[in-house]
Amino acid sequence: MKQTIKKNRNQLLESWFHATINTYPEESARVLGKKSDRFDNPVGAVTRESLEDVLTLVTESFGREGLEKALDPVIRIRAVQAFNPADAVSFVFALKEIGESVIEKADIIKFYRLVDEIALAAFNRYMKCREDIFLLKATESKRRIHHAFERAGLVAELSEGDLLGSKKS
Amino acid sequence: MADELTPDEALDKIDYRPRSSSEPRNWLDTTKSVQIRPGMYCYAAKPESVETLGLPNARAWNPTDEDWKLPENWQEILHNGIKERLERFRTFKIFMDVCVRCGACADKCHFFLGTGDPKNMPVLRAELLRSIYRNDFTLAGKILKKLPGGQRLLGARDLTLDALKEMWYYFFQCTECRRCSVFCPYGIDTAEITIMGRELLNLIGLNIDWIATPVSNCYQTGNHLGIQPHAFKDMLDFFVEDIEEITGVNCAPQYQKKGADILFVTPSGDVFADPGTYTCQGYLILFKYLKEKYGLDVTWSTYASEGGNFGFFTSHETMKRLNAKMYAEARRLGVKWILGGECGHMWRVIHQYMDTMNGPADFMEVPVNPITGTRFDNAASTKMVHITEFTADLIKHGKLELDKSRNANRIMTFHDSCNPARGMGLLEEPRYVIKACVDQFYEMPPNTIREQTFCCGSGAGLNAGENMELRMAGALPRANALKYVHEKFGVNTLGTICAIDRAALSTLCEYWVPECEVAGVHELVGNALILPGEKERTEDLRMEPLPGVEEE
Repeated sequence: MKQTIKKNRNQLLESWFHATINTYPEESARVLGKKSDRFDNPVGAVTRESLEDVLTLVTESFGREGLEKALDPVIRIRAVQAFNPADAVSFVFALKEIGESVIEKADIIKFYRLVDEIALAAFNRYMKCREDIFLLKATESKRRIHHAFERAGLVAELSEGDLLGSKKS
Repeated sequence: MADELTPDEALDKIDYRPRSSSEPRNWLDTTKSVQIRPGMYCYAAKPESVETLGLPNARAWNPTDEDWKLPENWQEILHNGIKERLERFRTFKIFMDVCVRCGACADKCHFFLGTGDPKNMPVLRAELLRSIYRNDFTLAGKILKKLPGGQRLLGARDLTLDALKEMWYYFFQCTECRRCSVFCPYGIDTAEITIMGRELLNLIGLNIDWIATPVSNCYQTGNHLGIQPHAFKDMLDFFVEDIEEITGVNCAPQYQKKGADILFVTPSGDVFADPGTYTCQGYLILFKYLKEKYGLDVTWSTYASEGGNFGFFTSHETMKRLNAKMYAEARRLGVKWILGGECGHMWRVIHQYMDTMNGPADFMEVPVNPITGTRFDNAASTKMVHITEFTADLIKHGKLELDKSRNANRIMTFHDSCNPARGMGLLEEPRYVIKACVDQFYEMPPNTIREQTFCCGSGAGLNAGENMELRMAGALPRANALKYVHEKFGVNTLGTICAIDRAALSTLCEYWVPECEVAGVHELVGNALILPGEKERTEDLRMEPLPGVEEE
């Protein structure tokens, strides 16, 4: 199966990329799906690179951690966009249908399991990004403004450092 | 869009079949599409803050409620508001008429690129208001709206409650950064459409609290955070103590000194929010140096304790009221001119609006740097000079003694803040100062800096906490370029000259590029500048060991 994925990588990537970009509203997908400069179209570029990394990774030996790392850039974007949690990671499942045309019948269950594994990694990463966002919401103003007052000795209570443990502030 | 097809190709693709009004692709049909989504909007203005300023319809309301508690005749108020502004502002009238929907701006907005929401294409955001204008203020609109399908043909629509809600939602998803206007073949300043849209929304009490309360604070107390004069002084005193610990030199500033040469005004974020506080310490060190070496007499003011102007995001009148305070103080103190700190939108207000609002400030002198003799003719009318122009001038004339090695841990890039870059063309000076203070400097890709700089995603009053998803999505194009130079050149510090940037980009880094941190340009100056009589420094202004010291 890994060989088949490797051999058909470009075709799989193209189809998967388009399926992912088509989760955006039509007018936006036209722009984001263009192969333009990666700085003029970060969503398109990062999505493509991320999916490419995943497809490369799954032909090698990999663990969930590696998958999460490869998925992080695209999930990090989708976690702050207008998707509900299901829609944010649904693009992973599109790979099942896309794979059906190239993966041999005998391998298809194995392939589905691989996609499930990618989906679980995506779910983990999505939750991590959402937690990052909530943490930023909860602590941003305290860290920026309260911290300055704390240093000046104008207020005194448990510091953010104490409350957050070793989390970088 | 226009950049994809030649005219012939475009004509070939025209679909001549009429569309039905229920067709889902009709973006003007808003009833199904307006969803005010948490994470994308800011909380409504508190009634007390609206009352302080005497602005209309102060009441508690919630954007996610069906009932926005609008005045009964809100449509009439808006209609008259639009009419009055079309007569008063020629730009507004032209911008309403002239757009041909070519789409050149469509993919230039950081909010569109980050959110993927088509209504964040600048052209469509502007169409929200333009469609009402066409319907109610053009002859074609008045005729066509009576015919079936006529509104659709013209791109016009009625001012309904849903249309209003949509305008509110999207005009507060624009940071007025003006990147789109750089690409508009007609030079339409879409930011001005947002400015006008927000001004109209304020006529019926639809401001957000992150703007209204800072404005109210600034109006009553002198700065956005509502910090009173004694606390303002306490903070600066604390910086003075820290600097003395680091350098051995007392850099205490002067306050409200009548007859000083220069009044210094900076955004209060520099005094009260990290990491702007380190930039503020840089100012104090610079002024001490100039006082000792050249006798320069600079005063601070606890009355004009805010360079920022969130009135700019409310209405022209509110902007004028807040801007007037700096000039009133300059007049009262009898200074020669005003030096402004590292701020973003303050400079668009000064450079583009001050002169017609409160100017010309002819009770002051055309700014001349008394140390170098340089005359700042660009500030001949406003009498206000940006501190990076001032410092760059000093460096150019060899007036500052700088030790770059104290910033050797910094591998820098520079984020052009939208307003100083696009609003007044301040592109070279900050780079010049940075390069004089650090050895390693790498630019981000050309289509993401200078005039084409990508916004931080949190400007124009959107730097709240509740809209974090919007801010992070809007920050993506900037973060994407930063990540690139981080990975390619090992960049670890993003320099900037805007107080909102210093706060917003720090959060951007935490989410997108956690290996980078943010520093103001004068923080670098403060570290590098060799003060007369200073002791051997072992720490930087963040009280971290200087490069080289940690190994000893």
